[in-house]
Amino acid sequence: MLSLKHSFRMAVGSISSSKLRSALTTLGIVIGVAAVIANVSLGASFNQYFTEEIGSVGNNFIIIQGKTSNLFHDSEMEVIKNTPGIVGVSPLSQEVAEVTYLSTARQITVQGVSEDYEQVGNIQMESGTFINDKDKYVAVIGHDVAYDKFDRKISDKNTIELSFTRPDGTVVTQKFKVKGIVDSPETTFVQSGIEPDDRIFIPIEAMNEIMDQDYYWGYFAAATSLESIDDITDELDKRLARDLGVSSRDLDNEDAKPYALTNQGEILEQVNQLSDALGSLLTSVALISLIVGSIGIMNIMLVTVTERTGEIGIMKSLGFKNHEVLLLFMVESIVVGLFGGVLGIMLGVVGAYAADTAMGLPYVFPVDMIFTGMFVSVIVGLLAGIYPANKAARMNPVDALRHE
Amino acid sequence: MAGCNVQSPELNNVIDIQGLKKSYFLGNLEVPILHGIDLCIKKGEFVAIMGPSGSGKSTLMNMIGCLDRPTGGKVMLMGRDTNAITDNELAELRGFEIGFVFQNFSLIPRLSAYENVLLPTYSNTKDGMDTSGRARDLLKLVGLDDRTGHKPAELSGGQRQRVAIARSLINDPSLILADEPTGNLDSKTSVEIMDIFSDLHKKGRTIVMITHDPEMEQYVDRVVHIRDGNIGNN
Ligand SMILES: Nc1ncnc2c1ncn2[C@@H]1O[C@H](COP(=O)(O)OP(=O)(O)OP(=O)(O)O)[C@@H](O)[C@H]1O
Ligand SMILES: [Mg+2]
Repeated sequence: MLSLKHSFRMAVGSISSSKLRSALTTLGIVIGVAAVIANVSLGASFNQYFTEEIGSVGNNFIIIQGKTSNLFHDSEMEVIKNTPGIVGVSPLSQEVAEVTYLSTARQITVQGVSEDYEQVGNIQMESGTFINDKDKYVAVIGHDVAYDKFDRKISDKNTIELSFTRPDGTVVTQKFKVKGIVDSPETTFVQSGIEPDDRIFIPIEAMNEIMDQDYYWGYFAAATSLESIDDITDELDKRLARDLGVSSRDLDNEDAKPYALTNQGEILEQVNQLSDALGSLLTSVALISLIVGSIGIMNIMLVTVTERTGEIGIMKSLGFKNHEVLLLFMVESIVVGLFGGVLGIMLGVVGAYAADTAMGLPYVFPVDMIFTGMFVSVIVGLLAGIYPANKAARMNPVDALRHE
Repeated sequence: MAGCNVQSPELNNVIDIQGLKKSYFLGNLEVPILHGIDLCIKKGEFVAIMGPSGSGKSTLMNMIGCLDRPTGGKVMLMGRDTNAITDNELAELRGFEIGFVFQNFSLIPRLSAYENVLLPTYSNTKDGMDTSGRARDLLKLVGLDDRTGHKPAELSGGQRQRVAIARSLINDPSLILADEPTGNLDSKTSVEIMDIFSDLHKKGRTIVMITHDPEMEQYVDRVVHIRDGNIGNN
């Protein structure tokens, strides 16, 4: 009985007797397996990146944005706070101010927030403490503001001067005492009003007083959990609509409402859709390459079987049974597939690493991908080998010998 | 005339052919090649089959070697009716009981001389046989102990045929079938190859050899003449 060891050795001998041809044959599998590996690896990197990103922005946050400026007041703040599932809320207002420190002046975005923002916005302090609701003319500054923006480094207990321009053109200047510096988040996510590095946070009462206004641009709220965030957002939507006099008929009509709600879950979902789209693109590349690769192997195996018709005759005359000839060619086909698979895995790993590095994503490599890659290439080699190996096995020994 | 005399002990009849017919079919047209052959070859005989080209010698040998099935009649090998056994059993019979030597050497080009000799044992191994030791011994027997690692392309025609002879002996078969083993060799090399066959014959092996060369008659016990698919008179 022909052993696997012998069939494997004979297959390797046969493949290495035509190295270039075998290598070219495996190209389809190489690309296919590489695409599978890169797909899963990149997908994992994307997910990890965005989950970290969005996590760093806030804890289960809901952003409430007004479409007109004079919309939100303290009563809406109460509505939000009293919605079940909301664990914290900070009003938000935002102005660009001229900031002066030791005779250097810079234009910087200033964010009016309340005490809750520290928790809702996932703020980590590098030094000092965050604003509390008893504070008035104090500021908490972002990392870049403290270290990069000005000629001299700003530290807590220093004083900065903020000049705001009201809508009517009057400029109001006020001194603020720096209370703390926000630690730079590890990763950042593109969403307005959140990235703390180049911002200054001040109490929203101070901002509204200086700007001579009593409304907020919007709110930044936190829900109890990511799982229930959609339900909580819906409930919040209902309550706000009622409070602002939107008819219940228009509840599902985003255009009819004077505000917009976005939550962390939705953003995560959008990101997932993006990586899913990328994934299905790579999956179809992989699938097509694997089909092409399998046809390539089948083709080369058919050529091999024809070329070796005489040898098949010899083997049969020496006593090899049909199923042993079949095994010999199946093993050869699988080894070709596996060879392509190994090259594909290496290419995929290197490719995913290069892509991650180029895009600044964290490198994630799922080790079980190696086994998936091997498995896929074995299956492809196996499927490709069935027809040619069968053809070899069924040859009539006399006819095959005559072929020599 | 039937194959073997029924009175002779069965195991002594290595080949017992009775009324063997073989036809090829070209479409629906039956082309008879062998027209009812009877032949008996006993243990230890060295028989030459001679005849003009196209007379059916190779066809007969393929029947004896179980490479093809008869259209009519039967081939008994070592007392077994080959019509009655399956393809797998036929393959096994070839592997254990028959050693082939072909005109064109028929070695696997990617394997070394040693591996070529060993090749039949990958499929059929006799219990308790030291196959690798035997392969080396056989290569020594045919005078190639210094060429075991050579590929067929690195050997001369005569050396290749020696490898093929060594290979035919690896499973210690009951019968050696050689189809014009010296057909591709010059006369000096042919004599060397025939000396090997002669030697094997002296050691008691049963050999059936197809040849065109009347010179070969001196080596054999008996010549069977074939003409147009019939056994002629010696
Ligand atoms: N597969 C086949 N199909 C049709 N005809 C065949 C086939 N094989 C052999 N023949 C025919 O059978 C006849 C005998 O062929 P065979 O090979 O047995 O001759 P041979 O005696 O060995 O000749 P040579 O001395 O040239 O080797 C030839 O006429 C050949 O054309
Ligand atoms: Mg012939």
